[in-house]
Amino acid sequence: MDLITVTREEGLRFSVELRGHVMTTDMSVAEGGQDGGPSPVEYLGVASGACLATMVQAYCDARGYTDGDVSVSLTLELVENPNRVGGIVLDVELPKDVPEDDREKLKKMALRMPVPATLRDGPRVDIEMF
Amino acid sequence: MSMVELGGKQVEIDEDGFIQDPDVWDEAVAADLAKTEGVDDLGDNHWKLVNYLRDYYLEYNMAPMIRKLCKQTGFSLKEVYDLFPSGPAKGACKVAGLPKPTGCV
Repeated sequence: MDLITVTREEGLRFSVELRGHVMTTDMSVAEGGQDGGPSPVEYLGVASGACLATMVQAYCDARGYTDGDVSVSLTLELVENPNRVGGIVLDVELPKDVPEDDREKLKKMALRMPVPATLRDGPRVDIEMF
Repeated sequence: MSMVELGGKQVEIDEDGFIQDPDVWDEAVAADLAKTEGVDDLGDNHWKLVNYLRDYYLEYNMAPMIRKLCKQTGFSLKEVYDLFPSGPAKGACKVAGLPKPTGCV
């Protein structure tokens, strides 16, 4: 796994660099930022949706389902104490030629895909302050 | 908190426009709240969502989970956002007169 570095740009806006790719994260105006990019928590949703879209599209490609592309719409349910994501709600749109039994299979497989599986099992989070 | 005119009456709202007293809500209040969410006219589909949210809240004293809202009203997530661009929590719940959802993003 490559190193990910997070560097402050201004205020609560940070630049995130990974393998030459650069992303921006910021908080909303209501949360004290300038909405210069998705918030860190929103990136959790980004990861979930993109993982699902990628894996499902690969499955469809392998089986020759080509009547349309995979797309995902999702939102996060936020809870308190502590403030965190309580639920990730995802709708997956499949190519029209995916048969019903494959749709059911995909729904079961989805929870074993890397990001959903990670979130369900809860990774170890190890933080050191210097 | 501040007082604004909604539905022809003075209503207390918080900094995000959520009404503080659920008892002042009525359809005229909902229509004015919808305008603050960029929804000029509430159509049948808007009311289907609003009424489900309000009935659920009055029965259970909480907003329903989003998946339940979608399944019970028959709308996909995208359709809910098409109707209320701020989403089910900050958009539809506001128009339905529910308390503001909490948590940071």
